[in-house]
Amino acid sequence: MPDEEVLEEGVLNPVQPEIQDPLLRELMADAPATAPALEIPQEKAQPTTAPLEEVDCVVIGLGAGGAPLLARLAQAGMKVVALEAGPWHNPEKDFATDERAQDFLFWNDERLSAGGDPLAMGKNNSGTGVGGSTLHYTAYTPRPLPDDLHIKRDFDKGADWPLTYDDLAPYYEEVEQFLGVSGPTPYPWGPSRPKGYALAPLPLNSAAQLMVRGAEKIGIRTSPAPNAALSARYYQEGVGWREACTNRGFCQAGCSNGAKASMDVTFIPLAVKYGADIRPNSFVTEIERNAQGLITAVVYTQNGQQHRQPCRNLFLCGGSVETPRLLLMNELALTSGQVGRNLMAHPGVQVWGTFADEVRPNKGIPGGLISQDTHRPQDADFAGGYLLQSIGVMPVTFSGQVARGRKLWGQPLRDYMRNFNHIAGINILGDCMPHASNYLELSDELDARQLPKPRLHFTAQENEHRMNAHAERIMRNIWEAAGATDIWSFGRYAHVIGTARMGLSGDDAVVDRDGRAFDVPNLYISDNSTFPSALSVNPALTIMALSLRTADKFLEREQRRDA
Amino acid sequence: MSTPHYPAGTVRALLPTAHVSDATRAALQQRLDAPADYTPQFLAPEAFALLEAVAACLFPQPDRPERPIPLAPSVDERLLEGRSDGWRYDALPPDRETYRLGLGAIQETAQALFQQDFPTLGAEQQQRVMQAVADGTPPGATWQTLDASRFFEEMLAELTEIYYAHPLAQEEIGYVGMADLPAWTKIGLNEKEDREVPMGE
Repeated sequence: MPDEEVLEEGVLNPVQPEIQDPLLRELMADAPATAPALEIPQEKAQPTTAPLEEVDCVVIGLGAGGAPLLARLAQAGMKVVALEAGPWHNPEKDFATDERAQDFLFWNDERLSAGGDPLAMGKNNSGTGVGGSTLHYTAYTPRPLPDDLHIKRDFDKGADWPLTYDDLAPYYEEVEQFLGVSGPTPYPWGPSRPKGYALAPLPLNSAAQLMVRGAEKIGIRTSPAPNAALSARYYQEGVGWREACTNRGFCQAGCSNGAKASMDVTFIPLAVKYGADIRPNSFVTEIERNAQGLITAVVYTQNGQQHRQPCRNLFLCGGSVETPRLLLMNELALTSGQVGRNLMAHPGVQVWGTFADEVRPNKGIPGGLISQDTHRPQDADFAGGYLLQSIGVMPVTFSGQVARGRKLWGQPLRDYMRNFNHIAGINILGDCMPHASNYLELSDELDARQLPKPRLHFTAQENEHRMNAHAERIMRNIWEAAGATDIWSFGRYAHVIGTARMGLSGDDAVVDRDGRAFDVPNLYISDNSTFPSALSVNPALTIMALSLRTADKFLEREQRRDA
Repeated sequence: MSTPHYPAGTVRALLPTAHVSDATRAALQQRLDAPADYTPQFLAPEAFALLEAVAACLFPQPDRPERPIPLAPSVDERLLEGRSDGWRYDALPPDRETYRLGLGAIQETAQALFQQDFPTLGAEQQQRVMQAVADGTPPGATWQTLDASRFFEEMLAELTEIYYAHPLAQEEIGYVGMADLPAWTKIGLNEKEDREVPMGE
């Protein structure tokens, strides 16, 4: 039987999304809803002298790319070690409702932002810690629409994915069920689905209600958005109970009650249950190879001590900056010439308005509402499209944007900020085309670890400019229809994508459709660096779906080898 | 004539209550309790005094004449520790150098426009100096090597985020999001919990 078929039917799929066992649910209904206690080996130093034993797989990075496959590999009985650069947090104790006190969730080693539209990094699109950027993602988890993967076919621009929506659909469903995504059933856009979302949508906050008001008046369909935060208590085998969202609204930082499906409360407990060895505060510097070019070990520093972990396979899941940076520093998988190239970032222009109504934009899931009516606008003068999203916001983040984007200072800044409780926003998330002038390289400047800082070049091109202009017009119309005054826009780009892209051939791609490096047979990459195009939706859900698929394809190959 | 404003003390009254988690309370209380006098550790005393004057121009606090929300100390501490926010404009030198150069350049602009040091200028003249920097082409030799508008944007954003992280600034804008326990149940338009105080005259 072709292995492909077996997999797509989920036979090799060890996560059972159906595990919502009614009897178990009944039994546990009155039990306190706590996740299994995890030993958090924050300061656990590895033995310094004794060499470490070889393992089947090392996974570098425990965000959306690394955590799902870590769980999958562990469940399949593989001996797996995960190296995460950041610490392992205790959500209740460590996650204050205070923006500055949450700065430690961001990747704060300095990156250099160059080009005509330098990308804001740090809190904008990076993360560190067991859970990676999912610790502070807003959990907005729409699926791409099928034509998102065929931008080249449809517009003769950018690149097509070597995968179709149908290849990914079973994995989207599995991830949505496992995380407990709250969303509308049926979903108003895209193909019909065999299964609805795991939970009903989260309640709409003020910004979402205002967007409904404005969009209705100008004939744009909206819907409560799919969000990976729980609208009700939820149980998953291997994870335990997770509590419902308390509308804390602080999703751009750490969720203190585990309602948001960050990796540390979902795939990582599952991986731990099946024996994954998780090593926080472990920063990888070197990847060793043998004469045949196969990876043999990974060198990392943990709590000031250097270790060498031998492995049979390596899964690189560091995200679109650290993944290509490690490849470039180690001169690994470079023959396609594509490592660091094709850097894309989602157009994410925001439009803010002031309302007579009381908004209090800090409450509720920030991205409460969605519209994909603008996925392929009829009057578009650009390739691809975008989604519309209502946005809530926290005061420090908002004030920084007002300073940078609106260029207010002095008394006018203080006066404007007094409107905080009456302000609401909409933003887009749009596709982006790769361009020769947009890339990542190693600079000559060294960071505190004595490693070269990465430099990211990004200049928005004609297609992005046209999309932004179209989107800003629509969003201003919505806000005017909703009764907003003092409307202004903040141009921004979010998510770094595409710096180690997948493709059909090693001539123009770093990895194949399974995430396996063309140059190095025992190296896999699983994160948003492999995306051939940016997609017109937030990347996290697709990163997780691809991660599980990569694990399945790897396991399938291992099984063939053993047979 | 008084303009509508939020009553003073709202955040301070909530901090000791069970609506605020221990972690949240610790972060906010530390800012409230920061001592009034601060000895600069990274910047030279003159440079620090200049940064304070610039901060006072960017965030005038006539409503807090005795004790303004301190902004410059956080910058000095960050530069001392060499902390970054994860990125910087490639067009600017490293943060320590950028601040040293930028503050010196503001002096040059003040001298060029008004033949005086920045801290000794009147409020209106200080504003004209800062506006020239914000506009990107201020007079002064150092600006030939330092991108004025990028420097201004970075410094303004840093001071702004320090300001609005302070509990007193959060009282000013009526934000009580730190008091999020056990939950927010009234999250729609024109809905609020009892602990969310309305704006008054």
